[in-house]
Amino acid sequence: MKYITTVGEKTYAIEVNDDQHVTVDGKTYEIDFLSVGDQSIYSLLIAGRSYEAHVELTNEAWQVLHAGNLYEVIVMDDRAQRLAQAGGGTLALSDEFSLKAPMPGLVVSSPVDIGQEVEKGDILVILESMKMQNELKAPRTNTVASMRIKDDDSMEQNQILVVLN
Amino acid sequence: MFNKVLVANRGEIAVRILRACHELGLSTVAVFSEADRSALHVRFAGEAYPIGPGPARDSYLRIDKILDVAQRAGAGAIHPGYGFLAESPEFAQACEDAGITFVGPQPSSIASMGDKAVARATATRAGVPVVSGTESEGALRDEDLLALAPEVGFPLLAKARSGGGGKGMREVHTLDELPAALTAARREAEAAFGDGSLYLERLISGARHIEIQILADAHGNVVHLGERECSIQRRHQKLLEEAPSVFVADDMALRQAMGEVACKVAGAVGYINAGTIEFLVDEDKSFYFLEMNTRLQVEHPVTELVTGIDIVKEQIRIARGRKLSREQHEVELNGWAVECRINAEDPHKNFMPSIGTITTSIVPTGPGVRVDTGVYSGYTIPPFYDSMISKVICWGETRGEALLRMRRALDEYRIVGVKTTIPFHQNLLYSTRFMAGRFNTRFVDEDFHPEQKELPNPQLAAALATLVAHRQGREAAQIVQRGERDTSNWKWVGRWERMRR
Repeated sequence: MKYITTVGEKTYAIEVNDDQHVTVDGKTYEIDFLSVGDQSIYSLLIAGRSYEAHVELTNEAWQVLHAGNLYEVIVMDDRAQRLAQAGGGTLALSDEFSLKAPMPGLVVSSPVDIGQEVEKGDILVILESMKMQNELKAPRTNTVASMRIKDDDSMEQNQILVVLN
Repeated sequence: MFNKVLVANRGEIAVRILRACHELGLSTVAVFSEADRSALHVRFAGEAYPIGPGPARDSYLRIDKILDVAQRAGAGAIHPGYGFLAESPEFAQACEDAGITFVGPQPSSIASMGDKAVARATATRAGVPVVSGTESEGALRDEDLLALAPEVGFPLLAKARSGGGGKGMREVHTLDELPAALTAARREAEAAFGDGSLYLERLISGARHIEIQILADAHGNVVHLGERECSIQRRHQKLLEEAPSVFVADDMALRQAMGEVACKVAGAVGYINAGTIEFLVDEDKSFYFLEMNTRLQVEHPVTELVTGIDIVKEQIRIARGRKLSREQHEVELNGWAVECRINAEDPHKNFMPSIGTITTSIVPTGPGVRVDTGVYSGYTIPPFYDSMISKVICWGETRGEALLRMRRALDEYRIVGVKTTIPFHQNLLYSTRFMAGRFNTRFVDEDFHPEQKELPNPQLAAALATLVAHRQGREAAQIVQRGERDTSNWKWVGRWERMRR
């Protein structure tokens, strides 16, 4: 099976030949790969060298944590790659942005109002969690379309707080 | 003399205190909130009683409920740990009134050291230099603080009078920034300490944060256990501590001078039990009193490892009215210790708290490694409390050995399910400036930028992610295939055998 894998600005053509072989950019390596303890920790032996990393999928990107370094990796198989290219035109980025609670917490304050113009970096909500007050900021310049919160509201993780449009 | 101790805390420090009690043969009582039924301290304690809902103000800060449990369980003493009620003079007084020994200083010492302004005045009277500030003016309004700011000089810190732990504190570089900083600091101080009053203090740049651990008994003996280096901080929150300090190192005169001053401050308030005096030390090795923490510190283990003194057991010994186990000349420093605080925060996302279930926790072990933690595999971190879930403490004969051992320990540590600050520490332990000991309290905020470095092995990461994706895709496909084969395996074998005939 062939994959196109992207790490930051680098792209690799990777083919998983069978359980013992993988080809990266035309070069074939002998591997021994297994999940350790039925968890998202994986052990990989490449020609006798031993690597262990934490690998998990979040929001369409793979997060690989190895030796204290976090890599965001996008893996597409041939089919997904073709689909993405074919459907690329219709997947126009929406201007709408929903600020979601990154963790459960309590709304301390929200210094913006509906209809207000906000600039990138402006504070939208101050959310208290684990004794810390976390300032959640606007990712780009936009207008506040709706506020789903008021002060002292208790929020679940991923609950929508503010919508920009 | 008490034989049963109630631990009025949770998390790793509650576990730490329970361990000391059990080693001393004391019975233990834990208290827990509704969010903590499955917490480790509840499982380790001899007895455990619920004290209310998750938020701390409804449980771990409820003096009445905790005293009620103590009396019902027949606990003769209460250890408050750190945080929560540890620095509440009301709590210490309430224990005293109820005839229960408070494992900590007297209410009057907590009160005088808890108010930063009173503490600084006490230090000044004891002849200890303090950083210039407005504390002598009392509680001030914003207008007064704005007027006094130029006298204090910039850069300065706006600090909560009842503050601690970096909360209710803002750095201000110009007069224009001050009003916004005061608002933010007041807001945070009111939320954290129920007291929004602030004072201004000159910010000493290039200074190190070095503190002295002291022990004092009820017989007038005070000893210090050397210093801890706590300059590795992010936004005034300590992340890594060492004992001794690389800045003090072989300067025995400086260590002795700071130690004597620390004992003098403790003596000035008639202090009893374990305490810590924090100093700012500038590049010329002049030191200034910052504050006194009238409790056990998070970073106490580094001192334990280099002195061989179990500070929690010593606290209990003092609370039982006995003399300190050692005199000053019997306190010797041996080797080097370093502690990394492991917080459930994502260092790759601006240290945002990370809440969830810890699916795997493989704790480092081996020579010279100690882990104090309150979490385990399968534990769900509640959102109500501090994000610190674990401390890794390593000892070595030299600083180099301790730091390399810490690298090794962090490489072994596996926590899956929540993000932690382990990657931050791993990067720090590869920073040449940190390893060389050339850092001050500004280092992490200003000069340490691990995110800018080139990631060393993107190809490996690509291969790993692809292999995992491939494996998961294949497993998904197999599940579908199995369902599609409507014939039992026995029939399948029979057909296959018939074919071979």
